[in-house]
Amino acid sequence: MEWVFALLFALVFLWYLTFTASRLDRLHHRVETSWASLDALLQRRAAIALEIAFIPSLDPAAAVVLTRSAYLAREAEMAERSEAEESLTNAIALIGESEDFHKEYPEISERLEVVTSKIRIAIDLHREAVATTKLQRSRPVVRFFRLAGRAPLPVVHPFEEVPL
Amino acid sequence: MRRKLRIGLVSPYGWDSPGGVQVHIRDLSKFLIANGHEVSVLAPVDDEDGIEEDFVVSAGKPVAIPYNGAVARVLFGPVAASRVRQWISQSDFDVLHIHEPAIPSLGLLACSIAEGPLVGTFHVAAQKFKVAFAIVPIVEPIVERLRARIAVSEVARETLKIHIETDAVVIPNGIGWDSFQGARPRLEWQLGKTIGFIGRFGEKRKGLSLLIDALPKIIESHPDLKVLIAGPGDPEEILKQVDPRLRTRLTFLGLLSEEEKRQFFKSIDLYVAPNIGGESFGIILAEAMATGVAILASDLSAFKYVLEDGKWGVHFEASNAEDLAVKASTLLSDPARLATLASMSSEGAKRFDWPVVAEKIMDVYDLVSGAGEKVVLASGNRSWNKLIRGRGE
Repeated sequence: MEWVFALLFALVFLWYLTFTASRLDRLHHRVETSWASLDALLQRRAAIALEIAFIPSLDPAAAVVLTRSAYLAREAEMAERSEAEESLTNAIALIGESEDFHKEYPEISERLEVVTSKIRIAIDLHREAVATTKLQRSRPVVRFFRLAGRAPLPVVHPFEEVPL
Repeated sequence: MRRKLRIGLVSPYGWDSPGGVQVHIRDLSKFLIANGHEVSVLAPVDDEDGIEEDFVVSAGKPVAIPYNGAVARVLFGPVAASRVRQWISQSDFDVLHIHEPAIPSLGLLACSIAEGPLVGTFHVAAQKFKVAFAIVPIVEPIVERLRARIAVSEVARETLKIHIETDAVVIPNGIGWDSFQGARPRLEWQLGKTIGFIGRFGEKRKGLSLLIDALPKIIESHPDLKVLIAGPGDPEEILKQVDPRLRTRLTFLGLLSEEEKRQFFKSIDLYVAPNIGGESFGIILAEAMATGVAILASDLSAFKYVLEDGKWGVHFEASNAEDLAVKASTLLSDPARLATLASMSSEGAKRFDWPVVAEKIMDVYDLVSGAGEKVVLASGNRSWNKLIRGRGE
């Protein structure tokens, strides 16, 4: 009689493992898609930053930081990318302090505003996806049976910690 | 007798954050004031109430921008730009001395806003210059406006030549040579044979790990060896990577005061500068020399300049722990040699003494301001200023 229970238990456990594995797969997918949309928004911000950098009345120091960060934002290497995005965030905040900027370039300022608020949400989504995935991956069952497979551990990039 | 000048100095980095450039500007200002010149320094300032110097004018709070691998506390943007404009138009300077005009901060701002007798000092030495193709076209025409360019070392001059294609005169950073004389050693820093190291040891380029790699070999011939490490940073980070048997050899002293620094140099047997790169000048070597201590430094061009190619100390091949170990052991086994090196090095630092260095800087001031021309706002900015004022009224 016991072997029936053992078999049943094994079956249930197997089902549980596959269930967890596919759940993890979904989570990884969520991390990837949330990063993809964040990435796209960041590229748009970089493009706007370049536009601002070409405004003739803008001071050259701001122009250098914006240009540099905008180009580095296309860099593939993540450590540098993150630095560039952080610079960009800080630089844009400094320029936004001036009321003249908003008055004189209402169109760019408006677009920047829109993209920034979208980035804010995208970062939240990405961070949330990463946090959930990491939490699930840290469970003993997942670690023991290597349910996450070869998927790299998702990370929150340092620039995402900087308030926009 | 020199003409008395009204001199404006621009600091790119936060006045109340630690850094060599700020120290240089502070000491230069004090020296200029002591010589009867009028000085005003424009700098980003975090805490305006905490500023002791009455010649410092705040341009606003700096922001942290990651730049070439380090985080720089800089300031720019429209608000800062209008402060710079105001400062220049109200001050009627004979000379405007801009520090780091190629770093995106107040220096570059001031350089683009002012016209007339402008002097620029370049401190940084960087082999790598990220996305130079995009930045240089912005920076180059602005740096061109400087009437005179100063580089603090040959390395800084090379950097300038390569990236912005402009030449500069080399005038080193200054030290107060007199204040380093007559320091007394501290007994607790003299137990056994001691090697000293000063710097932000957490930064890889400062080379502490190279020194630690070389230790086992030095200890073979000097079993009583101790390493004294001074400077800001977290000792735990270093210690956990170090072989447990070596840990007791390392003593971390934290950040030293100026007075303690002199005692430190005077107490140790050998000062080691194992830096592996990215050094523009090495003011700490000049200070060590001035105090009078035997020096073993890597053969970076910045250090070779300070030690005049081994005239005032010994070089080892940079990034070569083996060579470091051999040179250090040999030196430590030869007390007579150590004593000679220590007694003569002070002489070699005299060329960095403020009177010598500031004299050269004032020569440059005289050259650019010879015709009695004043620093004014560049024509483009004058109309901009009018526009803003017109709107404000």
